[in-house]
Amino acid sequence: MRSWQRLCAVFFLLVSGVVLYQSIRVLRVLDHGQPGSGFMPLGLGIVLAILSAVLFFQNRVRDEQRVRFWQPRAWVQPLVAVAITAVFIVVFDDIGAITSVTVLVAGWLWLVGKKRFVVAAIAGALTGAAVYVVFAKLLLTPFPRGLLF
Amino acid sequence: MFDFAGLLNGFHIALSPVNLLWCLIGALLGTAVGVLPGLGPAATIALLLPVSLKMGSPVTSIILMSGIFYGAMYGGSTTSILLKIPGEAASVVTCIDGYQMAKKGRAGAALGVAAIGSFIAGTVGVLGLTAVAPPLAEAALKFGPPEYFSLTLLGLLLATYLTGESPVKGFIMATMGLLLGCIGLDPISGAVRFAFGVPDLQSNIDFTTVAMGLFGVGEILYSLDEAEAGTILTTKIGNVFPTLRDLAQSAWAMVRGSVIGFVIGILPGGGAVLASLVSYAVEKKSSKHPEEFGQGAIEGVAGPESANNAAASSSFIPLLTLGIPGNASTAMIFAALLIHGITPGPFLLKEHGDVFWGVVASMYLGNVMLLVLNLPLVGMWVQLLRVPYAFMAPMIMVLTLVGVYSVDNSVFDMWVMLAMGIFGYLARKLKFDLGPLLLAFVLGPIMERSLRQALLMSRGTAGIFFSRPISGALMAIAILFVAYNGWAGRRRRRRMAAAAA
Repeated sequence: MRSWQRLCAVFFLLVSGVVLYQSIRVLRVLDHGQPGSGFMPLGLGIVLAILSAVLFFQNRVRDEQRVRFWQPRAWVQPLVAVAITAVFIVVFDDIGAITSVTVLVAGWLWLVGKKRFVVAAIAGALTGAAVYVVFAKLLLTPFPRGLLF
Repeated sequence: MFDFAGLLNGFHIALSPVNLLWCLIGALLGTAVGVLPGLGPAATIALLLPVSLKMGSPVTSIILMSGIFYGAMYGGSTTSILLKIPGEAASVVTCIDGYQMAKKGRAGAALGVAAIGSFIAGTVGVLGLTAVAPPLAEAALKFGPPEYFSLTLLGLLLATYLTGESPVKGFIMATMGLLLGCIGLDPISGAVRFAFGVPDLQSNIDFTTVAMGLFGVGEILYSLDEAEAGTILTTKIGNVFPTLRDLAQSAWAMVRGSVIGFVIGILPGGGAVLASLVSYAVEKKSSKHPEEFGQGAIEGVAGPESANNAAASSSFIPLLTLGIPGNASTAMIFAALLIHGITPGPFLLKEHGDVFWGVVASMYLGNVMLLVLNLPLVGMWVQLLRVPYAFMAPMIMVLTLVGVYSVDNSVFDMWVMLAMGIFGYLARKLKFDLGPLLLAFVLGPIMERSLRQALLMSRGTAGIFFSRPISGALMAIAILFVAYNGWAGRRRRRRMAAAAA
């Protein structure tokens, strides 16, 4: 796990680099002698860089035993879930909220929850109907118009 | 001065049918999320933030959310006792003796003592809140920008040190939270920061989006990763009303737990988890039979369960009087107040006394409701454990996505939320605590504004933070706290090195 922690340290160091660059070159650290819009980010960038370096050095020694980040195939379900959610967001404006909710729930239950397709489709349709009643009708959320509604 | 008229007015507000109903819904939801492992009160409040926006009354909205928060403390003990799985982080320690009691056929007594202890401590916490909050808010009226900066700095330091395992990781998360809070418009000059040409980033990132992403989506992804075969409930509950002997045995543990929880709950970052751990340690140390702890000692259930409820109530003190949330759940309530155009802090009591006293009064009522919900109806909550997570996960995901869209009708917010969810999931996998990030995100704008205003007042001299009595005292505490922790950490490492050699 220490190698992952080192990787994190490098990531946060990169973030601090971007913050420092923006604070100094794009924003104003001092504005007419007073703290400007880049003042706080500059301080935070320096703190983040120091903390990242500390995290890196705290984990400089290798693990005695290799520790897995994911158990075998444990990454598959979260990845599929993220993919289905991303598809939902992409199609949300085009096919409408209710249809995309139905597709999301059905797809999730089928692919992630390993439920039978019929069960997944019924649960998806019921959730879509519930969202329509609660959000579109009761809470008057202006959803994009889609294929069905 | 104790404002009896204010409290009476609060009861008048809280007893209205609508507020009573939402208080009950909050207590029900809180108990449910407490019972269900995986979904905590912070995530649930985050999911309900968009609903809060649609609620007309801020009092009703905060009554609902606080009901979820302290309700979860009640419900958290159920799975700890019956399945040895903490339904809520603050109930981790209840697993030790609660589960042992259940194995010995005393699950009912453990659940009963947990509910009664929770009720007593919750009520003590609210009484303390009623007494302490008004004078503290009065004192806080004297706070200027230097005092606010010192206070937020101290709050963040405490929260970061006390919540996680690694201070370095905690500080990294806090810094990331402060940086996230910098995205968008600068609160003083109006300059656009870190937008990278993306128009949607030019207005600041919404708290709801960040909170729902980190705690809602992140939690779902983490649960999918950690998916285990469903735990089968086999324990018989039996009579949930403890015997007189049980009550006599646990009475002092409840009293001690209530006091410990109340004090720790006021500290930023202290919260219910720390309170329950400290209470367990105190109970074990003060017991005449410490060897019984871990084998099913009833004090090991009564103390921590009382402590986490008292802490949940007292954590409202810094939120409502100083405008400083001490943990992720109160940070959500802070955001809900802001959504309704109310700034939590010393002026809350003066300008929105109805909100303050309405919420406090609802806590008295909520505690009574929770006692009823958790003693005779415990069997109903146990049935919840039979709902498969495979069905719950997509429903929660839909709620977060549609909820975050409904705040600003923005598809971009859904992308930000998904990104936050992935970040939250990876952070949890890598043992980074997300609490400091969210707290820093909330406190960031207050901190930056105070810092810059204070430096303007002093013409750029940092001495202003040390020369004023309150600010100086807060800074001194912060410095002493960091120095002590540095020294203690060094000593611990040396001891470990010596032991290893």
